[in-house]
Amino acid sequence: MEKPAPLGYGLGLRPVYYDEILSSRPPIDWFEIISENYMLAGGKPLAMLDRIRADYPIVMHGVSLSLASTDPLNFDYLRQLKALAERVEPAWISDHVAWTGVHGVTLHDLLPIPYTRESLAHIVERIQRVQDFLKRRLVVENASTYVSFVDSEMSEHEFVREMAERADCLLLLDVNNVFVSSFNHGFDPVAFIDGVPAERVVQFHMAGHTDNETHRVDTHDQPVCDEVWALYEHARRRCGDVSAMIERDDNYPPFSELLDELQHMRDIDARLSNERARSAA
Amino acid sequence: MKLADFQSLFQESVLTGSGEADKPLLKKLRASPRGATPETLLGVYQSGYRLRLADFVSQDHPGLRAVLGGEAFEALIDDYIDQRPSRDPNARFFTSGLPDFMRDCPTWRDDARAVSMALFERAMVDAFDAADETPLAVQALAEYPPNDWPLLAFDFDPSLTLLELAAGTIASYDAAISEEPPEKIDAPAASDDVEYVAVWRVDHESAYRQLEPDEYVALCEARAGHAFGDICQMTAFQQSGEIAPERLAQCLSSWFQDGMIIGVRVGGDDQSSNTPSSA
Ligand SMILES: [Fe+2]
Repeated sequence: MEKPAPLGYGLGLRPVYYDEILSSRPPIDWFEIISENYMLAGGKPLAMLDRIRADYPIVMHGVSLSLASTDPLNFDYLRQLKALAERVEPAWISDHVAWTGVHGVTLHDLLPIPYTRESLAHIVERIQRVQDFLKRRLVVENASTYVSFVDSEMSEHEFVREMAERADCLLLLDVNNVFVSSFNHGFDPVAFIDGVPAERVVQFHMAGHTDNETHRVDTHDQPVCDEVWALYEHARRRCGDVSAMIERDDNYPPFSELLDELQHMRDIDARLSNERARSAA
Repeated sequence: MKLADFQSLFQESVLTGSGEADKPLLKKLRASPRGATPETLLGVYQSGYRLRLADFVSQDHPGLRAVLGGEAFEALIDDYIDQRPSRDPNARFFTSGLPDFMRDCPTWRDDARAVSMALFERAMVDAFDAADETPLAVQALAEYPPNDWPLLAFDFDPSLTLLELAAGTIASYDAAISEEPPEKIDAPAASDDVEYVAVWRVDHESAYRQLEPDEYVALCEARAGHAFGDICQMTAFQQSGEIAPERLAQCLSSWFQDGMIIGVRVGGDDQSSNTPSSA
């Protein structure tokens, strides 16, 4: 499997941190942008992005491709996405196993699907068309879900595996989403990680969520919790050297706290590679 | 159930919120292993949807919240979400239709101050990410011999919006975004008085400036592509009095200084698409 080279340790680029990033040039290997936030005619967001792009690799992460929707693919959107990619020259472009609306409406959310043969054939065909249009492999992320459906004919990881293999796309493994969905639906998160094709995973997302006791919600407004760190370790063991990053979208902490979380990630990885070196010796 | 039917059903339940419409969808949900009710889990999508859209409106319209007061503002947001579901994949544009919605809607269209504020705040948001152009310095005029000056026409920054608003809109906005904004802005007595405002972008940030009536008319005409020499004779000035060439030159120099002008050319033309919006 030909994959883009790993980028190291990254962070979701958010406007609240522009000044800090530009003035301190923090030791971060790369940034991920929310593509839609820069699909604009001009102004500050694009100007900031150009300046940050001059010093850091960028990955484009979208939330509106609506890969699983039964509406027609939105080629206006895709053209804008492609134009942004020409400007940014991202290492890759990603979106989600999700739909955002039908009948021309968008709910601005990543909505769940039943994991059926029909859904699978549908999303595979759309990923292929998007890849043809963008002339590059798409990276597709597992979303957090709060409901699951009696119509599902397979598990989520079976769906993701077959989707990736049939569409020949790459994967973004959101470790927090695996944890949140496994909690909400009662599956084994380790089995999920073991079930996805590791050779196609190019990126990890790490994030915090909200614990509502009977269900957890993917809010990206907390530090990464211990259970998700433990799962990260397992994902790292299984997938090896893939680009990893922290997503934070609300309740923004001082920038240094995000750098600390990245350091925690580096420390785990250093420990794992020491263990590997010792067991190889 | 086919995927398309499932998605229609799911979307309907998110758009309308919990209630009768949910019943067929609730039957499709697996039981939560943690004891969450199906209504609670579906509610994550239903309430998330409204909170997210309401948040987009709140971020773009602090002034509108202040002139309406919290309760009426929430009611407006509810109406808008119910009646104008988002159709643009980019969430940034969800709020773009709010002023037009208010002007169309019997509940809101007679509140000239609220409609004015909505228009002003939309112009501020639009200016922020309008296309990039490079402003010209006033020295650009030196390239033209004085004989040409009456024939000069100007191109304006794409971020520029000219507005005729209910009097008091800008003062209310300034109060609303001040360090300690009041709970609710006192409404000035209803009147037909208006004020004129230019909104554009300077150094990456949206900017605004109130205009005297004569400057507003001159700027509208200049933006419509009319030559400097013609603007003095425009009938538009007959209501607001004469505009002396010296006054017009002073206006022109401030448009340069403000970074509104991006091009100069000899010979005006009629670009009727550049008409100003107004309340
Ligand atoms: Fe994610």
